[in-house]
Amino acid sequence: MADERLLHPTLSLCPVCREAIPARVIEEGGAAWMLKRCEAHGPSRVRLSPDAGWYERMRAEERVQAAPRHLRREIERGCPFDCGPCATHGQRTRLPIVTLTSACNLECPICYVHNKSEDPFLMGREELAEILRHLREEHAELELLNFTGGEPTLHPDLLGMLQMAIDAGIRRVSICTNGIRLVQDEGLLDALAAMGVRVALSLQSYEPEVDRAMQGASLLDTKQRCLELLEAKEIDTILIPVMTRGLNDHEIGRILAEGLRRPNVRHVEVHTMTFTGPGGAERDRGGRISMLEVLERIEEASGGTLRVEHFLPSPCAHPLCYQIAYLLIDPEGGAPIPFLDFITPAEMREVMSEHLYLEPSPRLEGLLREAIDRLWAEGGQERTLSLLEGLLRRMFPRRPLERQASLAIAEQAVKAVYVHSHMDEETFDVERLAQCCDCDVYEDGRHVPVCANNVLYRDKEARFMEKPRSWSEGRRGARQLPILTSSQLEMRSPRLPGGTEPLGEEPA
Amino acid sequence: MKPPADLEGSRALVTGGSRGLGLELCRALGRAGARVAFTWAHEPSDAKAARASLEAEGIEALDFQGSVSDSGHVREVVAALEAAWGGVDLLVNNAGLTQVLPISLIDEADWDEVMDTNAKGAFLFSRAVLRGMIRRRAGRILNIGNFSSERLVEAPVHYAASKSALRGLTEALAREVGRYGITVNLLAPGLLEEGLGAMLPQHRIDEYLEQCPLRRLGALPELTRIALFLLSADAAFVTGAKIAVDGGV
Repeated sequence: MADERLLHPTLSLCPVCREAIPARVIEEGGAAWMLKRCEAHGPSRVRLSPDAGWYERMRAEERVQAAPRHLRREIERGCPFDCGPCATHGQRTRLPIVTLTSACNLECPICYVHNKSEDPFLMGREELAEILRHLREEHAELELLNFTGGEPTLHPDLLGMLQMAIDAGIRRVSICTNGIRLVQDEGLLDALAAMGVRVALSLQSYEPEVDRAMQGASLLDTKQRCLELLEAKEIDTILIPVMTRGLNDHEIGRILAEGLRRPNVRHVEVHTMTFTGPGGAERDRGGRISMLEVLERIEEASGGTLRVEHFLPSPCAHPLCYQIAYLLIDPEGGAPIPFLDFITPAEMREVMSEHLYLEPSPRLEGLLREAIDRLWAEGGQERTLSLLEGLLRRMFPRRPLERQASLAIAEQAVKAVYVHSHMDEETFDVERLAQCCDCDVYEDGRHVPVCANNVLYRDKEARFMEKPRSWSEGRRGARQLPILTSSQLEMRSPRLPGGTEPLGEEPA
Repeated sequence: MKPPADLEGSRALVTGGSRGLGLELCRALGRAGARVAFTWAHEPSDAKAARASLEAEGIEALDFQGSVSDSGHVREVVAALEAAWGGVDLLVNNAGLTQVLPISLIDEADWDEVMDTNAKGAFLFSRAVLRGMIRRRAGRILNIGNFSSERLVEAPVHYAASKSALRGLTEALAREVGRYGITVNLLAPGLLEEGLGAMLPQHRIDEYLEQCPLRRLGALPELTRIALFLLSADAAFVTGAKIAVDGGV
């Protein structure tokens, strides 16, 4: 086509049969689109970004090369069918995820993972012990572990499992939750507070209709009560809204404000709606919103305080998967100051390369000191300098604080906004998958990238499905990356109107 | 280690004695049989707790609130001890403060406060007790410095400058009052498990340990034992010295 430009070839999935098929990402009308055709189910296309230039710039961002220490699977069928990881995987697991149970007390229409609440799977201690043993083999230092479900608070031995992770030396243990059980059981909250467990609370909306449309229940009061309790008990909290175009994308400003206002909220992690799993796959694709559009909504909602260029992709993942902005918080309630206003992008990339979540480190301390010197020498940012000075004086007062107390002050002075874009059958790109650092971890030592798990692997497991699906015997993926030859670049797909092409055939 | 016997009945004043090294020095001196007084500046609760912990060991300490950089306070303390005890035999200039600030953020008031407390305070108290010490032709002054005064570590500039000033003060004063049999020494601790060592980020501790041949932080008793030695008759021929107790950094 005259007005289309190939950005890159890749391998994706047929949205219907989920066989691996070649795909092209092209620029058309200024936007980035993924085009592909399944021999059995016809062509499909999906818009990945409204701005192909931004997409290209992000994709070109440098990432940390950190191959997994142990390969758990041979390359047999090719990416994405050999997850474990196999030798094509280019990133180690930064955020291991343990699914404690398949049981859930909600049936969210937006849910993108398969769950089974009748005769649910409940992980046992022996299984978790094996997972922790494998994690220790894989990592010199265990930073993060996230427990999820289903709804992990429904696990009868939740606290025991959390304690095992803490005892294994994991520094930040977190649980993803809808908050219902936490509101019903303050004793559980007290226990989480005592253990120092971080709570990742889903928070979609402040509007009853939107709330019901996204979660299938009226949870506004529950969420607010949960937020109040988490703050009262000083539990580190992450807010996780799933942005859906036309539903809650206009509420992003309010959700961010909630996160900035509450001192116990460490960061807000915005997920883009993904159309997979039991709920998501059936939803109207009109709700799809790209990562860049979420960033633009944030810029608009924050009145320009937090702009698109204040975000950087995480060097620990594929740059189209995580965008992160760090903010210096004003304890007097003034507008936060993005780190990129006083630290250069190159410097930020350097410290962000160390961890998925920013951690105190000699390099970070050095950068902040250099930033202070620079601000002082060059002038013009008195408020930033004053906030940094105030932070130092609070951390190191006349009567010295213990190290942990100083660190707690530093943590409260910095918040992050993450935008995390998962993939579904339509947006699936093995290039991104091969750089994934968020993996579901298993008893046998396997690590499966969450997007591969949600789209391909989880529904094959009896623990999550009443009727597990089976793999196609003929599946063939990419045996190495980059995955397409120059002759394949000649592939062309027909131009199709609209955001997403309706598929020509019904699922087989 | 048995405390030096000659400290029994001696009259000791420790500045900044309500917590940390200062409190441990009061305790060590009290255990050695000295009469003990200490000053404190800011936290009544610390002073109360210090008194209680000393009393629990049968050590009756006098205490005085005030800033070591306030000459009026200094005069009052020394006059009160002259009245109560008839003089001061041992002075430990321990009171000190620091701030973790780069030079860009140290303003004039910060500089003055740190220098006033760490350097001027030692000058004022030394001068105040010296009148009696010179009359009696005896006395021990021990200044508490810090390894940051000259070792190659990063330290806030006003703090390092103040501790270097203490070294100069120690050497010059030792030369000046040696003729009266008065000794003046400087004890320069490295990082201890308590105090700064409990407050610095772990990577700073690791950095210290890498440079420290003994590969560990110090403990308070390791300081107080050497302090007692320098205050005792056993150290009568030691003056103008800087004793580093820092693991060899």
